[in-house]
Parts: sequence; structure tokens; C-alpha cells
Amino acid sequence: MVKYILKRLVYVVVVFVILSFLMFMLYKLIPGDVVRQMLEPQRDKLTAEQYESEYNRLTASLGLDKPLVVQYYNWFTNLLKGNLGYSTTYLKDVSKIIGEPLLNTLFLNAFSSILALGITIPLGIYCAVKKKSFIDDAMQVFTILGISIPIYITALVMIYLFAVLIPIFPVSGMKAPGSTLTGFEGFIEKVYYFTLPVLVATINSMASTFRYIRAAMINELSQDYIRTARAKGVREKVVIYSHAWRNALLPVITIIISWFTSLLGGWVMLETMFGLNGIGKLMILGLTQQDYQMVLAMQMIYVIIALLGRLLTDLSYGLVDPRVRVDK
Amino acid sequence: MSDKKRKPSRVLNWLRRGFCGTKKELSIFEEEQIQSPIRTIFENFFRKKTAVFGLIMFTIILLFVLIGPAFVELDLSYVDQTQTNTPPGMTMLAVPNELDGNIRRIEAGKSFSIGLSNDGKVYVWGNTSMTPVIDVKDAMPEEVKNSFIVDIAVGTDHVYAIDDKDNWYFWGVDRNKQNAMPDEVEELKYSDIKKIDAGNQVTGVLTNDGYLYIWGNKNLSDITVRKSYQGKIADFTFTGYNYIVLLNDGTVAYTGMEKSNAFTRIPDAISYEDPTAEVQSGVEKKKVVSIASTYDVVCAADEDGELYFWGNMTNNENAVPAHDSDIVKISAGKNYFVGLMENGEVIAWGDNALKQTDVPKNLAKYNIVDVYSGGFYNYAIDDQGNCHTWGLKGYLLGTDEFGRDILTRIIHGGLTTMTVGAVAVLISTILGVIFGGLAGYFGGVVDMIICRIAEVIGSLPSLPLLLILSSILGQRFTTEQKMYMIMVILGIIGWTGLCILVRAEVLRAREQEFVTAAKAMGVKENKIVFRHIIPNVISTIIVSATLGFATSMLTESGLAFLGFGIAPPTPTWGNMLNGANNSDVIQNMWWRWVFTSVIFGLTTISINLMGDGLRDAMDPRSTER
Repeated sequence: MVKYILKRLVYVVVVFVILSFLMFMLYKLIPGDVVRQMLEPQRDKLTAEQYESEYNRLTASLGLDKPLVVQYYNWFTNLLKGNLGYSTTYLKDVSKIIGEPLLNTLFLNAFSSILALGITIPLGIYCAVKKKSFIDDAMQVFTILGISIPIYITALVMIYLFAVLIPIFPVSGMKAPGSTLTGFEGFIEKVYYFTLPVLVATINSMASTFRYIRAAMINELSQDYIRTARAKGVREKVVIYSHAWRNALLPVITIIISWFTSLLGGWVMLETMFGLNGIGKLMILGLTQQDYQMVLAMQMIYVIIALLGRLLTDLSYGLVDPRVRVDK
Repeated sequence: MSDKKRKPSRVLNWLRRGFCGTKKELSIFEEEQIQSPIRTIFENFFRKKTAVFGLIMFTIILLFVLIGPAFVELDLSYVDQTQTNTPPGMTMLAVPNELDGNIRRIEAGKSFSIGLSNDGKVYVWGNTSMTPVIDVKDAMPEEVKNSFIVDIAVGTDHVYAIDDKDNWYFWGVDRNKQNAMPDEVEELKYSDIKKIDAGNQVTGVLTNDGYLYIWGNKNLSDITVRKSYQGKIADFTFTGYNYIVLLNDGTVAYTGMEKSNAFTRIPDAISYEDPTAEVQSGVEKKKVVSIASTYDVVCAADEDGELYFWGNMTNNENAVPAHDSDIVKISAGKNYFVGLMENGEVIAWGDNALKQTDVPKNLAKYNIVDVYSGGFYNYAIDDQGNCHTWGLKGYLLGTDEFGRDILTRIIHGGLTTMTVGAVAVLISTILGVIFGGLAGYFGGVVDMIICRIAEVIGSLPSLPLLLILSSILGQRFTTEQKMYMIMVILGIIGWTGLCILVRAEVLRAREQEFVTAAKAMGVKENKIVFRHIIPNVISTIIVSATLGFATSMLTESGLAFLGFGIAPPTPTWGNMLNGANNSDVIQNMWWRWVFTSVIFGLTTISINLMGDGLRDAMDPRSTER
């Protein structure tokens, strides 16, 4: 098991290094000269020689005169120290502005994941057991809708229904304008403002998880050991939850974790639509403001989360499936 | 029961024989021929109702967006400020029955028309909601309905009416001082008034003494009247943001405060010259009898019937069609003119983007005595008093924030979205098949490298990555190149899923006997992979491509929705929804997002239904699920 974990860890680290290199190169592709931009305000005051010497000095101090690999190395070591770069929009270090948005995004993600799983797991098991029942058929229709309709259309419809037609939820925002609530009341307010986006995300992500859970369950229920168990007179509940569900869990875990990370991507859309201060919105802001250091930092966060998710999948595989633990 | 059901009807049998040839009747002792796999797939597919529904729906939508553009032209630069956010409806030319044979005057605003009947009643039709709150039909004061209205003036979004007791009535939008009527006008008697008219948020009243009063949105239009001209004015007409007057001496003048613009360049023959100048220029002067103006062009007719045009001519407003009779009346819409001729025929010229100059052919049968035009709406009255209409009927699905027809944009946007989706899925399928095939067949290092790459790309959240790629790479490209770029990016990001599927299938297939046989016969390895193994995994590929088509369309539209995809004015279903993300649009301009969402949703649903049906048909095992 230790060997297995170590192997996965090494793999994740290697991939992280490669990806960060690719991202850095992508960042370098952006047209524009940073030093020239920085010198622009003083350009009229400096003579040509002064300008040139200043230009060279700045280039050297930023390390831009070194070869790309060295630049990458410097950037990467900085990244490991937690120095994510400097945001020209906020005029602050990116690491200082990232805290709240990251928390918000994770909050949203966790909230909607729990909700979606809480609904889809029992429902998936039920539909697998009672195939072709009315609820099963209804869910089939629902899942087709869920995977076909883009998240922003769901969001538009939900805003129309629950913020415009029946105004129970706010259309967008994080808190009431001018609100200074803190502590528990502030939290309640936040939950209230997050309800609609969480609902949208839940609806949108339920479909694919439901499909996987149902398929995995049906697959297990058709196995021979289930028939054996039933023949032996094991109670149906035990057959379903103890025998079939535990084995169906394996593929489900993979899906859940990869889905958890892919959800993060989907949040870009929701955060923009609902005006929530998350990393997706920060990234869009960075892209529109051409604040590429911030964008790069956000992308690296996405990479880290995705890789951690990957690692988590592999480790939980090891925990759930005894076969994986045996070193190949 | 079941026997009865299986027996095909006679007609169906005939049809089948006609098109597919006869099936050999088998006696009970013969064995039935084995069905080919393709045929099984077909039968399985068509047995599933949802799949057939998806196929039919998708075919309809596909034909709609493929054939549609041939019928509806899309002008990418088209913008019309007066037609913005018009709700769906085809009522803009629906003259009420009560008006028939009883018309005194018809005037048109931006999306509605108002008719005044001979018995002093006012009728409103068309799209009458000017803002979410103000509706020119509902806002009409009660007194108007009860009194005898003698004249009306209809601006783009406001209306003035005067009754036989010299009371003025105003209704419509008043945000920009449209209702700031000066006191001296209010005291005027109708008998003193020569003409009332309204333009783009402005209203003018001309008295019999030649005094012109104009009020309304001064920030938008140059509506001040120079004092030196007062008392000499015989007629006036509003352009989009200016006005022109006809003076008592038969010349035309620009009497606003602006020193020089397109409308001050009045042709010499009809322009007012500095009266103090001793020497008149050599041009022979003509006497103008009437003037009319569109938003951008003024037309003046002199006593010999000659027409003069000036202004910003962008739609051939001066290209009067050949006519064999004298023009007796010119009326003007927003950017076109309509001429009524002495012999009762009508011609129209100018912009025809909304079919406003398509005079109906059967109008020639009638003797037209009067023509009213405004906006994009034309009403011709024949000698029987009947009203004939042509021009813009309305928009089936409404218009967007630039006044563009949503139906047209849905048709053209669908083509773009589907093309991008199809090409992207083609690229990702090709990549997935090649890499999956190589990884599965060769195994070892190749397998490991390809799998790791696929895993890494597949596990990254795709939307943020796409956003970055699109915005960083997109800076160097034009709109069209950006479209190709997005196809390629989508393809490059999307191949990983199929790659892993194909790899697994190939792994399974390469252990089978026919591959060993091929190897033993010395067939080259690439040939074994692509000629012997890939055909065996084709079902996986087709299903994945079908489902991937929907996914690509969703991703593309997501990018466009966020403003990082294909940029407007090129329409795609995603960027058409771009502006819909605020409560005002969601609530009050529902047509701007509902129709696009519905057709987009239907498309992806039908593709997914088709894909699901195909998968079930190809893999009988999955039907158990």
C-alpha cells in the first residue's frame, strides 16, 4: 500500500511540473512587453539613453533577460514558496487576494456536491432496483435534459422562475447591498444568496452522476453473486446495500471525484452569471483586464485541485478495492 | 394479439417490395437467414421511440439551419435603433376593421401605427409597448376616446393629439421631455395651426402665421429654430436628429443651430440665399412645393415635379425608379421614400432590408388616392376608402438589443454553432482514434505516454483552460480565424475520452484470432490497426462522436456566452444569449433568450437521444441497463 501511495504521489508531482511548464509557456505566448508597459508613465521624462538603461535594468531585475528555462525555474520556485505573482488589477500579490474567492468556490462546490450526491445516490439505487418503474422513466427523461441543457440556460430559467416570477431569491450578488452582517447572521445571508446557484449546479450535475450510479448498480445486480445471495435467502435490503452497493461504489467513486473537479470548471459560468466572488470570476476578470499573472495563478490552482482530485481517486481506489492494493 | 401486430399492413408490404425488393418467403423447415449486424442495429435503433424522436427532431433542425440561410439573408452590420427589443408578433400592419373606409390620417411611430378616423376616433396597433411600463395603447388618455380628435402627431415613442375644443393630449414616453410643450403652443387654437408633426422624441407645431415651435429631446436633436426665420416658414419635416423647413418663398433652409452637417448642404437651386447678398449666384432658382424626409435624407419636390435629394445617402434614397406619371405626393419612412403618382400608382425606393419598399403587385389594380408611410409601415388608401398595407409586419420571434431579427440570427447562428461543433468533434474523433489505436495496439511505453497525456488533459477542468487558450491565442486572429481556432482547440481538448475507450476496445480486439491471422500473414502493423481492428470498434467511435457533437456545441456556446468564443456580430447560439444575463432582459425581454434556449436545448437533447439510442442499438448488453 505504501509503495502504491508513493507511486501515485511521484506521478502527481511529475505531472504537476510538466503542466506548470506548459502553463508557463502559454503565459509567455501572450503578446506584449511587460517592461515597456511599466516604463510607459515615465517615457516622456527620460532621454533615449536613460530609457534604454532603465529598460535593461528592469529587464534584468525581473529576470527576463535569462533563458526561458531559467525564467521558468525562478517562477516555479516562487510558486512553491506561495508567491503566485502580482495582480495589476488589484495592485496586490495574487496570494493575498485569492483567499476569499477560493473559499467561496469550494463552499459552492462542496455544498452542491453534497446536495447532488444526497439526492442521486438513493435515487440511483432505487431506479436500478425498480427498473422501468414510473420514477425510473421520469428520471431517464430528466437525465437527458440534464446532460443536454447547458448550465447557463438552466441558470436563466431558474433565475426567471425563482428570482423574477416568484421573487424568493436574489438575482445575483453575494450579500445585500450595504449589508454588514457578520458571524452566524452573515453566514445565513451568504447561504441565502448562494441557494439559487447551488440549486442550478445541483440540477445540472445530478444527471451524469445519476446515470453512473444507476448503471453501476444495475451491472452489479445482474452478477451471479447477487443471485446466490438471494437464493440463500439473504434479505433484499442486505443484498442491495451490503452486496451490490458496496461493489458498485468503486466506479462511482472515480466518477464522483472527477466530477468534483470538473464542477469547478462549470462554476466559472455560474460565478459570472450570479456575480459570486469565486476564482472563476477572478479568472474571467483577469482575462478581460489582461491581468495574466492572476490568470496564470488561477489556472495553477485549477491544476492543483484537479491533480489532488486525481490523487484522491487513486488513494480511495486503494482503500475500497483490495485488488488495487496488491502491487502490480 | 402479437401475431396481429407483427403482420405488416398490405400497403406497407407493397411499399417495401417497391423500394427494398421482396423478401424470400421461408417455409417452416427452412432456417431463417442470419441478419447482418448493421441491419440489427437499424432495427434496434428504430424500435426505440426516443431515439427515433431524436433523429426526426435533429433532422428537422439540421434542415432548418442548413436550408434556412438560403432564404434569409444575414447582414452582419445591420443595426436599427428604432427596432430594438421588439417583442414577437405580426401585428404591425394590422389596421383595425373600424378604420376601413373611414381613414382620415395614419401616422407611424417606431413599431406602432396610429390611425385617425373621420369621426375623430383614434386607433392604435402594432407593437405598442415602448418600455416595460409604458404602452402607447394603454397609456392613451380616457378623454381621447370620448372627444373628437382633429389631428394627431406621432413620434417614435410618443403621441400628441388635439381635439375640436383645442385641448391637447399627450401620451407615450416622456423621459426625454417629449411632453415639454411650450405655453404659447398650448394656447393656440386648432384654426391657427397649419401643421403638427412629431419626429424622433421631438414634436413641432407650425402656425398659419409661419411660426414654428419645436420641443422635445434637445440633447438628441438640433431643434432650436433661428429667430430670423420665424414668420416665414411654410412647412417643416423631421429627419432623425434634425429638421428642415420650407420657406414661404419656395426655398428650403436649415434653420437649426448646427453650422454644417449633411442637411445644410442643400442643393443650390432650392436653397435660401443670404438675402443681403447683392449678386445672386448663376444657378436658376426653383420653387419648392413640398418636402419630405427620412431619417437621413431629405427630398424636395419643385413646381416642375423635379426631385432633389440631400443628406446621408446610404441606401440609394435618390434612385427614384422610372415612372411615367407625375409624382403628386411623397411620403417617407425611416430610410425610404414612397411616391404616389397622378395615375393612382405607387412607387417606393430606398432601403429594403425589411421589405418596406416592396409595393404589392396587386396595388396596381386599385386607384390609390393617398399614401401614409412612417417607420417601416406603409398604408395606401384607394378611392373606395380601403386601406392596403405593405412593409414590416413584425418579427416572428422578436428582435434583440440592436434591432436584429432573432429568427434570422437563430438560423444563421445555428449553422455556425453546428459547424463548429461538427468540425471540433471530427478533429477530436480523429485524434482519439489515432492515439487510442496506437496505445491499445502497441502497449508498453507508447501506451503509457499516451495514457498519461490523456489522463492529464482529461482531468483538467476544461472550461478555464479553454478560456485561457481562446483569449490568449485569439488576440492574433480575425473573427473568422478565431472560429477555426476554437474548432481546433475544442478538438484538441476533447479527444481524451474517446482515446481511452478506443484503447480498451483495441486491447480486447487485438487478442482475437483474426488479428493473429493477419499478423501471421505478414500484414503491416499500421494496417492491422487501422484496417482490421478499428472497423471492429467503429460502434464505439460513432456513439462517442454523436455524444461528443452535443458536448462540443455546449462547450462552444458556453465560451461564446462568456464572451470568449466567436464574437458578435457573427451569430452563434451561445453569443446570442450573451446579453441575456440580467434580470431586466430575463423578465421583460423574454423573447431574447427563450427561443434561442429552446432550439439549442432541443438540438442537444435530440442529439443525445440519438446517441443513446445508437449505443443501445449497437451494444445489446446496454439495453439491459
